[in-house]
Formats: sequence, C-alpha cells, structure tokens
Amino acid sequence: MNQKKILYLTIVFWLLIFSGFIAYKEYTLRTGTEVLLKTLPVDPKDLFRGDYVTLNYEISNLNMEKLPSEESYFYNDEPVYLALELKNGYGVPKKIYTTPPEDGLYIKGKVKDILYDWETDESGVTTEETIKELRVDYGIESYFVPEGKGMEIEKAQRTGKTEVDAKIIIDKYGNTVIKSLLIDGKETEF
Amino acid sequence: MFDQDLIQKWLEEGTITHAQAEKMRADIEEYKTEHRSKKQIIAFSTIGAILIGIGAILFVASNWEKIGDTVKILLLAGSTLSIHYTGYHLKYENQKYPRLGSALLFLSALFFGASLFLIAQIYNSNANNSTLVLIWLFGVSPLIYGYRSIAVAGLCSLLFYIWVGLLYSERNSFGELINFLDLYLISGIALYFAGTLHELSAKAKYAAPIFKFMGLQAVLLALFMYTFGLWESKNEEIVPVIYAFLGILFLVVLLSKSLRSKLAGFQTDTSMAVISFLMAGFTLIAANTQVSEEACAGFFNLVFLGLLVLLLYAGYSTEDIGIVNTAMFWFVPLIIARYFDFFWDLLPRSFFFMIGGLILLTLSVVLERKRRELKAQFAGAGQ
Repeated sequence: MNQKKILYLTIVFWLLIFSGFIAYKEYTLRTGTEVLLKTLPVDPKDLFRGDYVTLNYEISNLNMEKLPSEESYFYNDEPVYLALELKNGYGVPKKIYTTPPEDGLYIKGKVKDILYDWETDESGVTTEETIKELRVDYGIESYFVPEGKGMEIEKAQRTGKTEVDAKIIIDKYGNTVIKSLLIDGKETEF
Repeated sequence: MFDQDLIQKWLEEGTITHAQAEKMRADIEEYKTEHRSKKQIIAFSTIGAILIGIGAILFVASNWEKIGDTVKILLLAGSTLSIHYTGYHLKYENQKYPRLGSALLFLSALFFGASLFLIAQIYNSNANNSTLVLIWLFGVSPLIYGYRSIAVAGLCSLLFYIWVGLLYSERNSFGELINFLDLYLISGIALYFAGTLHELSAKAKYAAPIFKFMGLQAVLLALFMYTFGLWESKNEEIVPVIYAFLGILFLVVLLSKSLRSKLAGFQTDTSMAVISFLMAGFTLIAANTQVSEEACAGFFNLVFLGLLVLLLYAGYSTEDIGIVNTAMFWFVPLIIARYFDFFWDLLPRSFFFMIGGLILLTLSVVLERKRRELKAQFAGAGQ
C-alpha cells in the first residue's frame, strides 16, 4: 500500500470516528424524550474539578425496598435499565430491569456500588443477605462548564435553597445526553 | 561502522594505506556528527510537537466560551487533518523535512485525541471515561504501521496504560478480581510481548524497542511497588492463569529456534517469561494459603533484585546499553527504599542522612563508571 492511500485511509478513518461519535450522540438528542432529573448535592470536595461539575441524581441511589425490581440480586458493573414515568416533566423511577424493557421510557445505567442488609440469627451468624440500595451510574454524571463557572452551581447546590435539575434527553435504547442544567427552574447553558 | 582499533590493525597489516585510513577516520567522524545532529532534530521536533499538543488539549479543556460548538469541532478536527496532511507532505512528498514531517504526524495523533475529548465534552460525556481513551488508541494505532512512527507507538503504549487504569477505576468488579499493581504488571508483560511479536516481523521490527521499553518500565515499576509489601491476596484463580498464559506465550517464541533467532536479545524475553511463571506460582499460592506481608515483601525484593541482575546480564550479553541503563536506573530507588526501611529507626537522623548520602554518591560514581565502560565496550564491538 502506498503512502498516499495510507493518508486518505487515515483521514477517512478519523472522520468516521468523529462523525460516528457525533452521530451517536445526535441520534439521542434528536430522537429522544426530554426528561428532567432532580439532582442532589454531592460532597463539595468531589463536586467541582476544574472544568466540570459532578452531578448526583435522585435516581443515582435506588432503594430496593421501595422500588420494584425484575431481579433481587445484582453485581457490580452489571447493566441495569430503570423504567421511568414522567410526572410534570420529571422522570420518576418505576421499576428496575436487568434487560431492556419492551416498551416505555427507560434509562440505561451500570451498577457502581451495592449496599447490603444482613439478617443474623441469635448467635450472630448471617442467615440472609439482601440488597438494600443500588448506586447506579448513567453516564451523565459530568456537566462541563467554563472555568470558574462551576462555583455558582456548587454554591447553589450546597446552600440547599436552590433546586438544581438536569434536562436530559433519553432515546429509545436508554442512551442519555445532558442538554442543560436548570437552576431554580431557569435554564443555564454554557 | 569500523572501529578505530580495526582501522589501526588494517593499517599495520598493510591492508589499507595511510590515505585510506585517514579517509575512513574522517568519514567516521562526519557520520557521528551527522548522526548526533539527526538525533537532536528528532528530539527537538518531537518535544515541540508534544508541547503544541499539550497546549491544544489544555486550550480545549479550558472551555472557551465565545465559539459555537460546531465551529469548535470544525476548528479542531480541521487542525488535526491539516497538521496530518502537512506532516505527510513534508515526509513523503516534499521529502526535504522528513523529521519535521514525522513530528507533525505525531502531533496530529495528539490533536486527534484532543478533538475527540472536545466532542465528548460538548455532549457532556462522563469525565475520565476509559472508552474515549480506547477510541483514541484505536484511532491512532494505524499510524504506527502506516507511517512507521515510533513516537505514535510510544503514545499508544502510554494510552494503553491510561486506559487500563481508567477501566480499573470504573469497574468495581475488577477490584474484586485483581490488584491494581498486578493489572499493571500483566499489562507491562503483555506490552513487552507485543514488542517481541513485532520483532519477529521484519516489517514491524522498528516498533519493537519502544513497546519492549514501555512494557519493561511498567513491569519494573509494579514489582518495585510490591517490594514495599503492598501485596493483597484476591483469592481468584484467574490471575495466576493469566500470568501462566503470558509465560507460555513467551515460551512458544523462545523454544522455537526459528523464532528465537529473530530476536536480538532473547535473554530479556526469557526474564519476562521467568517473571510470568514466578508470578503465576506466587499468585496461585497466595490465593490458596495465607502469606504474611513480610514474606510477600521478601519474595518481591528477591524477584525485583533477580530481575535487575538478569537484565544486566541480558544487556551485557546482547551489548544493549538501553537495558543496562534501565537496570542500573532501577537499582538506585531499590537501594534508597531498603536503606530507609532498615536504617531509619536504627541510626540517629544526622548519621542516617550522611551515611545515606555517601552511599548514594559512591553508588552513582560506580554505576556511571561501569555504564561508561560498557558503553565504550559495546560501541567498540558494534563497529
């Protein structure tokens, strides 16, 4: 293969990677459903790292005692699909699945951490281990902001007086893209 | 290349005349000067490319506000492709600046990563995402073979390590299976083996040294960290199996005479096979029995020291000053670390530092003198 061919192939290959990545995200943005998700304050040490804000959502911690689930046992890094129902534009958790639900709105995530609950007998020996809570990542935990702008979001979240919501687009495969942040209902795009 | 001693011998034997000897000596000097100059140009242009690349990545990371997303993407992707084409043009079409061309091709590989991260940033893809690093690695690896780029091979090795680290931090299940240092030890051995495979192919031989170098450094770093007794047993059988598998891969190459003959320094490859099998045995024992921290530290100190001795022997046998330098370089932190471990509580602080300083100074003089002797010896023999 001559060098000219290698040059053209490299350029085409790189453009395919760029456009493939853009197309994948644009597909979600253009075909998906707009959902609002409530965010929770995170540890300030973790919140702002230079040029992005770490977002923690209400749906990041799933209470297995309150939320119906297809399975009762999960493993770290296992993919999960959280069915959502829309209430006033907000995505509210409905049920946890281990395979994509056949219909309805759902968001794809990955189990990051598991909180267990143990039942012990009189002698202190564990008789039953159940999952109390799942910590799930959805791939939308970073929101990039211009340098220095993260501080206002950090303050807003820490004071607790301000509500910070994230406007998310979810496509039919459960893929997500953050569209914008809403601080006290006011859309903030950077 | 001819050795000065050889020229003198031919002169004394009457094989060559004085005029021919002088011509040879002048040409050798000219060649050396030219060779040094080439190396300097490569070093400067590569460092320049790295600096521009870092600048571009930082520029992207600082989220400049006034430009629209589309323009940002076009600007960076356009720059990437323009730099790539300029590099190609200078190296293959113009042919007057091949080294600058190579540096620009390398710079385009850095810009490719910067563009990728910019696009990911626009769509708020999670930060510290291992997939992005993997795409970068996947995207630039063809340049190693298409343009015979050693610098890109080095970049890919580095990206491979970054990807491994990020993947480990992303997946909690990995933490249950394998130690972080074991992962890097395995990655280092695997990368070294990739270098061995490259050496077997005449067309890809040029990339072997960088893969082997990067692999060896990771192996040495991980083993050095283990000498502090950082071992943690995971009770998982998969780790010894992976080590054994890597060892067998090396054995396949080393036991075949036709393959072994293609390797410039099979002794170093043998040391990697030894490490693989030693680690397979150790991890298997540690997974099934209780091994104390002291025993682990002792074992790894012995293994690390043994590997350094093996490398010195390999470097000496193959007259490879690079391997000798690597082994000597890693002797220093080992001695410092063990000196602190053993004498920190035994000696008064003033004596501790004075004696430590004296030991280090003596050691550096001895090592440097030995290194120079070997270098001169290898250069003489190689000419």
